[in-house]
Amino acid sequence: MAHKEYSFELKSDLSELDKLCRHLETFGKKTGISKKIVFELNLVLDELFTNIISYGFDDDCEHIIKVTMTPKNEGLCLCIEDDGRPFNPAEFETTDVSCSIEECKIGGLGIHIIRKLMDDICYERCEDKNILKLKKVLAKPKC
Amino acid sequence: MEIIEEKQGAVNIFKLNGRLDSNTSQGFEQKLFQAISDGSKTMVVDFKDLDYISSAGLRVILKATKAIKREDGRIMLCSMQDYVKEVFEIAGFDSFLPIVATMDDALKSF
Repeated sequence: MAHKEYSFELKSDLSELDKLCRHLETFGKKTGISKKIVFELNLVLDELFTNIISYGFDDDCEHIIKVTMTPKNEGLCLCIEDDGRPFNPAEFETTDVSCSIEECKIGGLGIHIIRKLMDDICYERCEDKNILKLKKVLAKPKC
Repeated sequence: MEIIEEKQGAVNIFKLNGRLDSNTSQGFEQKLFQAISDGSKTMVVDFKDLDYISSAGLRVILKATKAIKREDGRIMLCSMQDYVKEVFEIAGFDSFLPIVATMDDALKSF
């Protein structure tokens, strides 16, 4: 796997999800990671991006969300930067999902999915920016 | 995302094609709830050509399932691709939503 960083920017509009998908496809082709992992990374970034633009901004101005993906030896690092209000998904309490349809609450579902799919989540607030770093461990390639 | 609506007897069928995310889920929600308010009590959502779903898509499915249940109706979900099914499993939704392998299985269940 090539150890090259891949980064791109998204505007604060839900229609940018198509752009996110295209970037993930390009990243998948460049690095040769499996379609399943591309799907999972797309889902994680989609959930984070949707959260940021749904709850992160107090104004109607256009904001930029920066995404960086870096393949490491046996894993992948994602970094998402935004200038929205402080929010730490690593500390967000999610509800128990193994419940009945009547009790099932939808809040926090996106964050629950992110936690299930990623192995490490680290948040910092730096100069009015949210910087979220996530890691995913990939299985070792068979020799 | 493309949504094809069909009717087979009393069953409303929604065939999804493309990606169900926060950008497309609202249009799908409107179609489902239109059918419920028109009195539909049996629905099938066909996931065969759906390549992607996020929590926004799950939210719509859950909301519609609850709404149709209140009307004593039922919604069936069929023909999911593996990755899409995995999202339902991660969310724990596979334990209480009626997911079946094929359209035939879905139609026979009514």
